Amino acid sequence: MWIEIAHFATLIALLLAIVLLAAPLIGIHWQRLVWIRIGRQSAFAICGLLTLASAGLIISFLQHDFSVRYVAEHASLKLPVFYLATAMWGGHEGSLLFWAWLLSLFVAIAAWKHWNTHPVSMPWVLAILGGLLLGFLLLVLFLSSPFERLIPPPPDGRDLNPLLQDPGMVFHPPFLYMGYVGFAIPYAFAMAALITAQGDSEWILATRRWTLFSWAMLTIGIVFGAYWAYYELGWGGYWAWDPVENASFMPWLTGLAFLHSVMVQERRQMFKTWNLFLIITTFALSLLGTFLVRSGVLSSVHAFATDPGRGVYILVFMAILLLFSFGLLTHKADLLKESPQMDSALSREFSFLVNNLFLVAGACTVLLGTLYPLAVETLSSAKVTVGAPYYNKVFIPIMLGMLALMGLGPIIPWQRSSVTRLRQEFLPALLIGIVVTILAPWFGITHGSGAVATGLIFFVGVTHFGDLIRQARIRMGRESLSASRATWLLVTRNKRRYGGLMVHVGTLIMVAGFVGSGLFQEERDLFMAKGDSMTIGSWSLTLESVDKAAKRNWTADEAVIRAERPGAEPLILRPQKRVYNEHSQPTTEAAIHSSWREDLYVVLGDGVKEGVWAFRIYRTPLVSWIWVGSTIMVLGVFWAMMQGRRIKS
Amino acid sequence: MNNIWKLVLLGAVMAILLLFALGLQNDPRNIPSPLVNRPASDFTAPALQGGGMIKLSDYRGKWVLVNFWGSWCISCVAEHPYLMELAAKTRNRTDFVMLGVDFRDTPEAARAFLARHGNPGYPHAQDPEQKIAIDWGVYGAPESYLVDPGGTIRMKHTGPLFPGWFEQRALPLIQGATKP
Repeated sequence: MWIEIAHFATLIALLLAIVLLAAPLIGIHWQRLVWIRIGRQSAFAICGLLTLASAGLIISFLQHDFSVRYVAEHASLKLPVFYLATAMWGGHEGSLLFWAWLLSLFVAIAAWKHWNTHPVSMPWVLAILGGLLLGFLLLVLFLSSPFERLIPPPPDGRDLNPLLQDPGMVFHPPFLYMGYVGFAIPYAFAMAALITAQGDSEWILATRRWTLFSWAMLTIGIVFGAYWAYYELGWGGYWAWDPVENASFMPWLTGLAFLHSVMVQERRQMFKTWNLFLIITTFALSLLGTFLVRSGVLSSVHAFATDPGRGVYILVFMAILLLFSFGLLTHKADLLKESPQMDSALSREFSFLVNNLFLVAGACTVLLGTLYPLAVETLSSAKVTVGAPYYNKVFIPIMLGMLALMGLGPIIPWQRSSVTRLRQEFLPALLIGIVVTILAPWFGITHGSGAVATGLIFFVGVTHFGDLIRQARIRMGRESLSASRATWLLVTRNKRRYGGLMVHVGTLIMVAGFVGSGLFQEERDLFMAKGDSMTIGSWSLTLESVDKAAKRNWTADEAVIRAERPGAEPLILRPQKRVYNEHSQPTTEAAIHSSWREDLYVVLGDGVKEGVWAFRIYRTPLVSWIWVGSTIMVLGVFWAMMQGRRIKS
Repeated sequence: MNNIWKLVLLGAVMAILLLFALGLQNDPRNIPSPLVNRPASDFTAPALQGGGMIKLSDYRGKWVLVNFWGSWCISCVAEHPYLMELAAKTRNRTDFVMLGVDFRDTPEAARAFLARHGNPGYPHAQDPEQKIAIDWGVYGAPESYLVDPGGTIRMKHTGPLFPGWFEQRALPLIQGATKP
C-alpha cells in the first residue's frame, strides 16, 4: 500500500519536474512572472512528493513488506531496525530515489531562499534544476524502480550486504550524496550567469554557502568512507585509490579550488571564467562519480549495485549535460568582462592561482589514473590496475606544494607585497620549518618526503598561529583588551577568515596522520594457538582463546587476545570472523585499540588446523589524527559558513 | 577564453564520453585469467555419484572440460541443457572428456539438482569447502576451463557455456593442437 503511494507520488513529481523545466522558460520568453511563480511552486511540490515517496519506501522496509522487490533484496526479518530504516540507500534503486529526494529538497530551499535576491537568474536556475530532476526521476521510475512488486512475496528477504551493516556505511552515502547534489545549486547559478551573460558576483554571493556546505558534506562523506574501509574491511588501511573513491575525491579537489579562487573574484573581479569552469567541472565530476558507481563501467570493490543497462541512459544524460554546460561555457565565456590583470607574483591572488593549478593538476592526475584502466581495457583487451604507487608518486609532490602554499596564501597581502615585508612575516616560520626538516631523520622520519612534510606542517602551523597572535596583539593595543578577549573577538568577528584557517589547521593534523600511518605502519602475519604470544612495537599480545559469539543476525568466531604494554593496563581485544545468516561469505570485524599515538589493529583469519588460527596484526601510528583533523576541517567550514556576504555590488 | 583552450576542453569532454560509450560495451566477465597456459593444479576429490575418487591427472592424454557448478547457482540451471547436449554429442570422442566440480555444495543438494534437471552422465568431483575452486581462481559459477592433454589450462570461460561453444571455441584449439 505504502509503496503504491510512493510510486504515485514519484510519478506526479516527474510531471511537475517537466513543469519546473518549462514554466520558467515560458515565463522568460513571454515576460510573464506568473509562469515563473508556477515553476517555483512546483519546486516546493516536488520536494513534498519525493519526501512522501522516500517515506513510503522507508515505511515498507520497517513493515518488512517483502512483496516489494527492493525491500526483499535489501532487508530481512532479522535485520536490526537501525539498518532497516537506512537500507533505503543500501542498493542502486533506493540510492537514486534518495539522490532525487535530496536534489528536490535543495531545489526547494534554493527557490525559497534566493527568490527575492536573485530575480534575474532565478528562472534559469529553476529550469536547469528542473531538467536535472527530470533526468533523475526518469531514471528512477523507468530504469531502476524501487517500487516494483514481487509476486508471490517471499517469506523473508535476502538481507542487507553484511559489509554495509556498519554505522560508517550508514552515514557514508548520505553525506557523499549531499555533497554531490549540493553542487547542483551553484552549478545552476553558474549556468544562469552564463546564459544571462552576467558573470559578475551575483551568482557567487548566492552560491558561497552552498559550495561550502557541499564541500563540507563531501569531506564528511569521504572520511566516513575511509573510516568504514578502515574499521570494516580489515586490511589495516583507509584509502586504496579505488576508482569509486577517486570519483568522490575529484569533485572534492576542484570544489576546493573553487572555494579559493572565488575569493579572488570577490576581491579583485578576476578569474570569472575560471570560476565558472571550476564549478561546472565540480558538478560534472560529481555526476561522473554517480555514473561510475551506478553504470558498472568500472568494476571495483564498490560494485554492490550495478547494472550496465542503465549505464546507457546515464551516459546519454551525462553527455547532454556535459556538452550543454561546457559548450555554453566556451560559447559565452568571451562575453564576460574580465578585469584587472595580476599586479605582482608576490600577492595573494597569485598564490591562489598556483593553489588552483596544483588542485586542478591533482584532479587531472586522479582522473587519468581512474580512466586509464578503462581505456586500456576498451582499446586492447588487457586488464591493468593503477594503484597506490602511481598516486603516491604524483600526489605526494602536489600535496607538499599545497602545504607550502597554505603557509603563504592566507598571510600574504592582496595585490602586491614587498620582499622585505615577506621576510619579516615568514622568516621565523621558514627557519623553524627548515630546522624541523633537517632534524626529522633523528626522530626516525628518514623518508625524504616525510621529513619535508613534517617541516612544512611546522612552517604552516607557525605562520597561522603567528598571524593569529599578531592580529590579536594589534586589537589588544588598539582597544586595550585582554589577550583572550581580543582573540575571541578576532575569531568571531571574522568567521570566514578564521574558519578557513581552522580548515588549514585540521589539514595539518590530517597530514601528520598520513605521514605517521603511511610511512610507519608495521604489519605481522602469523599463526597463533592458544597461549601463544607475539610482540609488535611495544605491545605484547597473547591469544587466550577462540570462542563462539552470536547476535541476532550473525554468528562469529571470536578470538580473545590480551594486549600488554609496559606501564599500562592490559587490554582485551576481540577480533571476530562473522557469518551473517543469509550470507555464506564471512566478514572480518577487526579489533582496534585506538589512542592518540597509534592504533593496534588485529584481524582474525581462517583456522589453519585444530586450535591454530591465522592472524594479521597492524600497528599504525597517528591514524586517529586523520579522524580528528577531518573533524576540525568540517567545523572550520561550518564556522566560515556562519558569516554572510561580505561585498556589496 | 583562448580558442585553443576551448578546443582542449571540448575535446577532453568528448574523449571522456566516447571512452565511456566504448567502455559500456566491455563485458566484465572477459577478465583474462592468469592461469591460462599454466599447468592446471591437480586435484583428487570424492566423486558425487557412485563413490570412488576423481583425479584430474588420470585424464592426461585427453582434452578435459572442467565445469565448476553448484546446485545453488541459478545460471547453472540455464547452462545445464547445453551441458547435457554437449555430453551426448561428445560421448564417442576419444580425445575429449567432461568433468564437473560441484563446489560450495552438499552432495544431497547436488544429486537432487541432477535428478531434477537431468544427468549428463560425466563424473563430478565434490568440493564442499571450495578448495579446488580457490586453487583454480574461480569466483563465480558457472565457470569452465579447458585443459589440454598435457595438463595445461588453455582456456577459461566465465558464465554459462552457450550453444555452439564447443564448435566455436573449443574445437579450433583441439584441432589446432593435433595438426602438425
